Amino acid sequence: MAAAEIRITAEPIDNQRCKFVVSVPVLAGGVRRFTTPDETNGSPLAEAIFAVPGLAVSELIVSGNIITVVKQSPAPWQAIGKAVGNAIRATLAADVPAVASAPRPASGDPSAVNDDALYEQVAKVFDEQVNPMVARHGGRVELIDVQEAVVMLRMGGGCQGCGMADVTLRQGIEGMLAKLVPAVRGIVDITDHTSGANPYFQASKK
Amino acid sequence: MLRPYIRDPLPRLLLLLPTTTYRTAAFVEAARQIGVELTVASEQSSALEAANPAGLLTLDFEQPERAADAVRVFAKQYPVNGVVGVDDRTALVAAAVATKLQLKGNPVHAAVAASDKYLQRELLAKATVPIPRFVLRNLEEDPATIAISISYPCVLKPVRLSASRGVIRADNAQSFVSAHARLRAILADPETAAACGDRARQYLIEEFIPGYEVALEGLVVNRRLHVLAVFDKPDPLDGPFFEETIYVTPSSVPAGLQAAIRDCADRAVRALGITDGPIHAELRYNERGPWLIELAARPIGGRCSAVLRFGDNRISLEEIILRHALGMAIPSLQRERLAAGVMMIPIPGAGTLREVRGVAEAKRVPLVEDVQITAHPGERLIPFPEGSRYPGFIFARGETSAVVEAALRDAHHRLEFVVVA
Repeated sequence: MAAAEIRITAEPIDNQRCKFVVSVPVLAGGVRRFTTPDETNGSPLAEAIFAVPGLAVSELIVSGNIITVVKQSPAPWQAIGKAVGNAIRATLAADVPAVASAPRPASGDPSAVNDDALYEQVAKVFDEQVNPMVARHGGRVELIDVQEAVVMLRMGGGCQGCGMADVTLRQGIEGMLAKLVPAVRGIVDITDHTSGANPYFQASKK
Repeated sequence: MLRPYIRDPLPRLLLLLPTTTYRTAAFVEAARQIGVELTVASEQSSALEAANPAGLLTLDFEQPERAADAVRVFAKQYPVNGVVGVDDRTALVAAAVATKLQLKGNPVHAAVAASDKYLQRELLAKATVPIPRFVLRNLEEDPATIAISISYPCVLKPVRLSASRGVIRADNAQSFVSAHARLRAILADPETAAACGDRARQYLIEEFIPGYEVALEGLVVNRRLHVLAVFDKPDPLDGPFFEETIYVTPSSVPAGLQAAIRDCADRAVRALGITDGPIHAELRYNERGPWLIELAARPIGGRCSAVLRFGDNRISLEEIILRHALGMAIPSLQRERLAAGVMMIPIPGAGTLREVRGVAEAKRVPLVEDVQITAHPGERLIPFPEGSRYPGFIFARGETSAVVEAALRDAHHRLEFVVVA
């Protein structure tokens, strides 16, 4: 595919994390998570992003057409995001798989329930169950990461700043994950609820 | 690991949370801390209710008896061991549910009296609790005629609104007529009228009591009032509107006077028939002693409860309330040693909020623990008496109430609200 045909949208989550939404599939099926350059062998996209000067990547998650980059660099995404976009575009334009499939865990390995597998399962729950339901209130829930079986998520739309966001999180999402992905150890909401411009329910009482 | 999705013998708490409350996070977190099964009921359905029918429920808070019937049906499948309301309206529903399911809670008549300023005053007067003189009037009565028949200064109050909304002082006939028009407009709002129910066309005229105001936070256990904290309100509340700002505890009021204040609140609790659960009372004192201004059968409002911590483990007010409702042991009702305070950030003016500057700087003020901006960009800010929604809260803790108060003021000065007309 010609690099010019690939559209990439950067969606900063905070100064450390940024989600890059690509107009074409990057990894069809499954999720890959990279935390060191050593893990990127055979995945040129990951190699290229880890190699972006001044970025200092600490984590990279690829799922479907979404690439989430976590950096240690204090540089703002406005300054450094374009270099990441160029790296993504260049590797996707090449005629080789951008990301290798996840290696199978060794049988009997106690860490076989890994964060990548959990990410995939949680993403499925979010896509197929949580988001269709919260969409009725104009909301959405984004899976940001799974670290040591703890789910990091961000709420948007009507959920951001909603007076009942904690109820949605603890009584809804947490219960669904406990039932459907029981290996999840906890949930962390990284939403900036004070920035919610259109909360579905707005706290208004003293 | 998240708690497994299995039925277990943990007690189930029914938490009545209006969708507009500030208190959701604090109560939900408290329920998690004590590890109970939680069912959250609101007046509008949660987007995820279908996914967790045991944990999410929709109830008609405007119809307490109907809500209690619905809970009785729900409890056949998911037995309920305790019920807690978080504001005036849900305190009524909680009382109805508690009565119907024979759970710990207030009798319905006590919850009604606590949420209706007129009924409350009638009962307090009958029990000779010191309260301002008062009279109930209809909005349709000619204000000019009333204005020449009453004493000044006086205060006009809606019968069923909270948070000082619609409360206006009048010092003479002219300002009375003007205040009346303003209150009438507030009560004409359909949503406000609905909240006031059959009192929407009535209001109270009350003698203005000069003096220093304090707030008392308490827990009633089997008819006995336990005082959890007495807050000073160092900013004078002399009107014409009654927007609150700083609460700081422990109170600097002399011990003997504090005892009189506690006694006054205790008499009010008994007069209203409150038997169990949290109370929040506003009192004034002057050379004639303490005066009960308001008493509500609910905890302190907004996010103010965050300043209260109890016992060695610094448990929250919400945890105490939930434990009490479930009949669980309460580790301590003794507030921590440190002084603590909260500022309800004054509404900076009418208009649309664009941004709030200086939050990080305000958070860096020594002793300040947090600055929470609850208004969102684009929100319309409405000053008192028409509005009652504070744009945020500042919290501080320190060795003395004086240094805590100073820190709150310092942090507030560093905030800049950009509001456009």
